[in-house]
Amino acid sequence: MFGPTPTLKLAPGESIGEHLASQGVSRRDFLAFCRDTAIVLGLAEAAAPQVAHALETQKRPSVIWLELQECTGCVESITRSNDPTIGSLVLDLVSLDYSDTLMAAAGHQAEKGKDDAMKAGGYVLIVTGSVPLNEGGVYTMVAGRTAKEILEEAAKGAAAVIALGACAHWGSVQAAKPNPTGAVGVREIIKDKPVINIAGCPPVPDVITATVVHFLTFGKLPKADSEGRPLFAYGARIHDQCPRRGHFDAGQFVENFDDKGAREGWCLYQVGCKGPQTFSPCPIFMWNEKTSWPIGAGHPCIGCTEPHFWDTMAPFYKRLPDVGGWGIEQSVDRIGATLAGLTVAGVAAHATWTAVDKMRRKRELPVVTNPGAGPRPQPGGEA
Amino acid sequence: MTSTGKIEQLSDTPSFLGRGIPRPVGDYKWVYLWGLPLRAMHWIAALSITALVVTGLYIGRPYFVGGFEPGLLMSKFRLAHFIAAVALATTAIVRMYWLFAGNRFERLAALFPVRPRDLGNLFRMVKFYLMIQPEKAPHYLGHNPLQQLNYTLVYLLAFTEVLTGFIMFGMAWPTGTIYSLTYWLVPWFGGIQVVRFLHHAITWFFCIFIPAHVYLSFRADVVEGGGTVSSIVTGGRFFEAEHHYEDE
Amino acid sequence: MARTKVVVDPITRIEGHLRIEVAAEAGKIADAWASATAFRGIELVLKDRDPRDGWAYAQRICGVCTTVHAIASIRAVEDALDIHIPPCANLIRNLVLGMQFVHDHVMHFYHLHALDWVDVVSALKADPVAAAKIASSISPWPNNDAAHFRAVQERLKKFVGSGQLGIFANGYWGHPAYKLPPEVNLIGVAHYLETLEWQRDAVRLHTIFGGKNPHPNFLVGGMASAINVDARATINGARIAEIRDIIARARQIVDQVYWPDLLAIAGFYKDWGAIGGGVPNYLVYGEFPVDIRDTNSYYFKPGVILGNDLTKVHEFDEKLIREQIDAAWYDYPQGSPAEGLHPYEGETIPKYTGPKPPWDYLQGLDKYTWMKAPRYDGKPMQVGPLARILVAYGHGHDDVRQLAKEVMDRLQVGPAALFSTLGRTAARGMETVLLARMLDTWMDQLVERIGNGDTSTFTRDKWDPSTWPRKAQGFGRADVPRGALGHWVQIEDGKFSRYQAVVPSTWNCSPKDPKGQHGPYEASLMDNHPLVNPEQPLEIIRTIHSFDPCLACGVH
Ligand code: HEM
Ligand code: HEM
Ligand code: NFV
Ligand code: SF4
Ligand code: SF4
Ligand code: F3S
Ligand SMILES: [Mg+2]
Repeated sequence: MFGPTPTLKLAPGESIGEHLASQGVSRRDFLAFCRDTAIVLGLAEAAAPQVAHALETQKRPSVIWLELQECTGCVESITRSNDPTIGSLVLDLVSLDYSDTLMAAAGHQAEKGKDDAMKAGGYVLIVTGSVPLNEGGVYTMVAGRTAKEILEEAAKGAAAVIALGACAHWGSVQAAKPNPTGAVGVREIIKDKPVINIAGCPPVPDVITATVVHFLTFGKLPKADSEGRPLFAYGARIHDQCPRRGHFDAGQFVENFDDKGAREGWCLYQVGCKGPQTFSPCPIFMWNEKTSWPIGAGHPCIGCTEPHFWDTMAPFYKRLPDVGGWGIEQSVDRIGATLAGLTVAGVAAHATWTAVDKMRRKRELPVVTNPGAGPRPQPGGEA
Repeated sequence: MTSTGKIEQLSDTPSFLGRGIPRPVGDYKWVYLWGLPLRAMHWIAALSITALVVTGLYIGRPYFVGGFEPGLLMSKFRLAHFIAAVALATTAIVRMYWLFAGNRFERLAALFPVRPRDLGNLFRMVKFYLMIQPEKAPHYLGHNPLQQLNYTLVYLLAFTEVLTGFIMFGMAWPTGTIYSLTYWLVPWFGGIQVVRFLHHAITWFFCIFIPAHVYLSFRADVVEGGGTVSSIVTGGRFFEAEHHYEDE
Repeated sequence: MARTKVVVDPITRIEGHLRIEVAAEAGKIADAWASATAFRGIELVLKDRDPRDGWAYAQRICGVCTTVHAIASIRAVEDALDIHIPPCANLIRNLVLGMQFVHDHVMHFYHLHALDWVDVVSALKADPVAAAKIASSISPWPNNDAAHFRAVQERLKKFVGSGQLGIFANGYWGHPAYKLPPEVNLIGVAHYLETLEWQRDAVRLHTIFGGKNPHPNFLVGGMASAINVDARATINGARIAEIRDIIARARQIVDQVYWPDLLAIAGFYKDWGAIGGGVPNYLVYGEFPVDIRDTNSYYFKPGVILGNDLTKVHEFDEKLIREQIDAAWYDYPQGSPAEGLHPYEGETIPKYTGPKPPWDYLQGLDKYTWMKAPRYDGKPMQVGPLARILVAYGHGHDDVRQLAKEVMDRLQVGPAALFSTLGRTAARGMETVLLARMLDTWMDQLVERIGNGDTSTFTRDKWDPSTWPRKAQGFGRADVPRGALGHWVQIEDGKFSRYQAVVPSTWNCSPKDPKGQHGPYEASLMDNHPLVNPEQPLEIIRTIHSFDPCLACGVH
């Protein structure tokens, strides 16, 4: 009927530096970006030139972005990623060669893009979404194949694997009890190479930009904690970076939403804030061009960067978990206080009983002063 | 060390509660139970735990909330909590050592009802406190099996409390030693929230243990005489000579 | 004549995992199968949770239409427990949801839909000066000058020249179904990039009230963001000014970029006003209440249109909804009625009976999707912008009638052209224009209340479960970017005992039912629908994208 897709003449890849320049990013802005990122990465500002050099010489890395079992919130989050000067990660820093959500092609033309990138090798693999294992993986199928198969295939040639978001990290909401589809995170499937976990549901987007830059600058993924979370972002508790911490120390607490404390911006500890149990950069990086963040907008942190938070951090408006499935309002304090009360009462009762008992015995038993044998003389027994 | 003799000779060993009780007559022996180190440990533990309960309950549910001008309430309570915490932790460590170095009343065996004999006596002891056949109660110089069991529990819970406490404490310095020594245990507990929950819940155990324990100690003085309470002060107390003591 | 089996999997530039199979015959589509290929079971996860926590789990049904499931969830709980939220909280929710519409629709048009109509490669041939002339003739947008378009073209040239085409690789560039002149293509590309920048700013309204986006925070009984003009960490004067600016910029993008572009592009694709109509029934639950319990107070009122008859808008009755699973991989309890289950009796029991992976074809199988099939009074329904515009039109909604007339005059088409692929895309633009205006109205109302000293944002009286009945049930109704959304909850002893969601994409992507009725996606593809080159299923994507599919939503 008519010809094939018009193919474009492909020139060899340019460096990120060239590319940014070609995209109208000035040298000054570029260096500013390098400085900002160096700081985000917790490097000395002195590291900025090193970052700049790497970005200038590095070819824009090919990125294959797999979207598995997810809500696409993490992809959305990345489109919010911004630096005052650099347009966007997906269009400028990397060459996004496969992305369900953004790519123009569909069907097998889309899959072809991925196959080509995999053949070329040396790509960064970004994964959002979890991998369902029940029923042989039929709970997430793309192009007729299971998420597990697709992930294993793409991970083989990957230079680095970045699990982006709670789903890819450990399964997130679909892995919450009773985990109907047997959803697991990337690290449960890919065991033969390091997997960095950008934690959060979704994560703060700047973390991924910085992680990619770190990879390009040093040729390796950043140092991570036991959860595989990069330390430059997840190395401190929210509670220890929180602007409301002053109110915590002062003992000024929101006791209920929209109360006096809430209207003063006091600490959300008493309405269940999980900041003391959560490692996340939210208070520093903030959200959406540093506009605000959950606690900043008056809602307690629900601990979304911690593994299994949907089960462990709930109920979200209580500081302590509802262990042992007591009725949801049945707090440990009530039970504890009751038992303590009973003890004191018991002690009192027992004391009186003892006294009464002693009186009785006093009447029953003969008072003998014969040393040795027999019960001991009682008060007033001799004077 | 044990000394026997006529009770009158021992009148110079006052029992600060025993005073109300007429000086007993007949054969009594005075037994030295608790070495000075143990008594010191006891009172440090006693005071720190009491302090930890009071401050902990505030940290857990601030029972009064600051006014508009910051009074640093929470940070004061937390500071007190952590000071007491260190005191308790240190005592705990020394006590661990003392479980092996201490005298036979202070050793591991005296604190855990492991010997079959003690287990058997356990029930007679329960009956005693329930005032069923009190006269059949077994006699101990040191901890009777019920106390042993009680203290076993106290020790285990105090240990858990210290451990969970330090896990939470370490979180503020994820690069620090406490963190690296303790935090890896968190998954083993089933998450940091469970750690916090245990720490919180065990507090209530102490709220139960303390009054019961204090009562039983005083009561022992009043009923059995001989100065149980003083034993944790002076280290020793009287025992009626004619009885057979299981742990003699 | 021979039928060709065509498989398009993945359908890209949508949310989630959708597989479209068709049987093509003589350049037309004879039969179609829409298969949702992922399932998570979030309704099952919500069971036994604290109803006050529910919104957070429910919101994770979708991160593209973030906010909407949270709102449906808290409304369901508030309905069950008879919680009445303060007016300020309601206004804040309207602002948040309103901005969600604007953001979602603009992003859909440029970043998910535009490349179906805009040929990126052809933009390289454009004359920037001519492009500037066209652009400035239809809009006062400041960036509509030759210099800007030239810069964009340079960027694009370099981008393409770099050999790293990224997301633009393997597109259907040069396909004969692309009808725009190079200049209009260039305008499209320029605005693709500009709106990608802008959308980050738009969602900051969510961040101010909810702390972040995606997935801002909500609260059963109101909103967590307290109002206190004299404090720092609250909704104060500075924040109000900030919100005003965000809304102003959003309105400018809608009025000066999105809307003019949409009309301009539509002008070249009028033939698509006769393609892909499909299911002739439309369903609206209604949205943007003053008081959620009084549907007359809604900006978009509920209603039902049957057989494309705009002269009669039927009452919407929630009791007539049923979900069927005959073509989906689920099971129902023994003895469930043939017409399916109402959400209050709804069950989610996954039961895969499809072929062992990998798949070649699902077409022809009696079960071929994870999508349930909701029916209203036994009929399949279209939901979404078109449904809202049609029902409002039928109700005689002034703003809508006025705007509709404007559009029909501009394009010289009759109302019939709305029942189409182009109609769905146009209706989306229309409601965006109207809602962008409403953002200012709601903001005015909020500021006025604050001025009058009404700053209450939360109703405390039913927060404590001890105040709840032992058993309760509620319907969380909403109309969201992709259409009518309902969450049905049952609460027992302070926990969810049942949670059922019927979502816009569940309606639109629903499979065949036992009566052989197709859901909207399938029906549209089978309604006078071309497919000139099965190798390049551009037309399929156009029609599917006109629904703005969200599979994570639909299946959940
Ligand atoms: C006025 C207060 C107290 C008195 C008179 C007292 C008395 C005693 C006595 C006499 C003993 C020796 C065990 C026995 O009777 O056989 C003892 C042991 C013990 N007491 Fe206390 N006690 C007091 C407060 C506390 C408090 C507040 C705690 C802390 C919760 C505590 C914890 C312990 C423990 C753990 C032991 C076992 C000691 C060991 O053998 O290692 N006591 N106490
Ligand atoms: C018998 C001993 C102890 C008792 C009864 C006790 C009690 C408590 C209680 C009730 C809380 C509040 C928990 C909550 O609801 O979140 C708490 C918090 C805490 N305790 Fe303890 N505690 C004890 C020992 C310790 C020790 C040995 C440490 C070690 C440093 C410790 C460190 C902490 C820390 C770090 C917190 C959390 C403070 C915060 O969240 O700011 N505690 N304690
Ligand atoms: N369908 C759908 Fe949604 C919307 N709008 C939700 O209810 O996209 Ni994710
Ligand atoms: S981690 Fe959260 S936001 Fe990201 S995809 Fe999963 S559910 Fe959505
Ligand atoms: S709001 Fe949360 S994180 Fe901030 S200080 Fe209070 S408890 Fe800590
Ligand atoms: S909920 Fe998540 S987004 Fe930050 S404040 Fe808490 S970690
Ligand atoms: Mg459902």
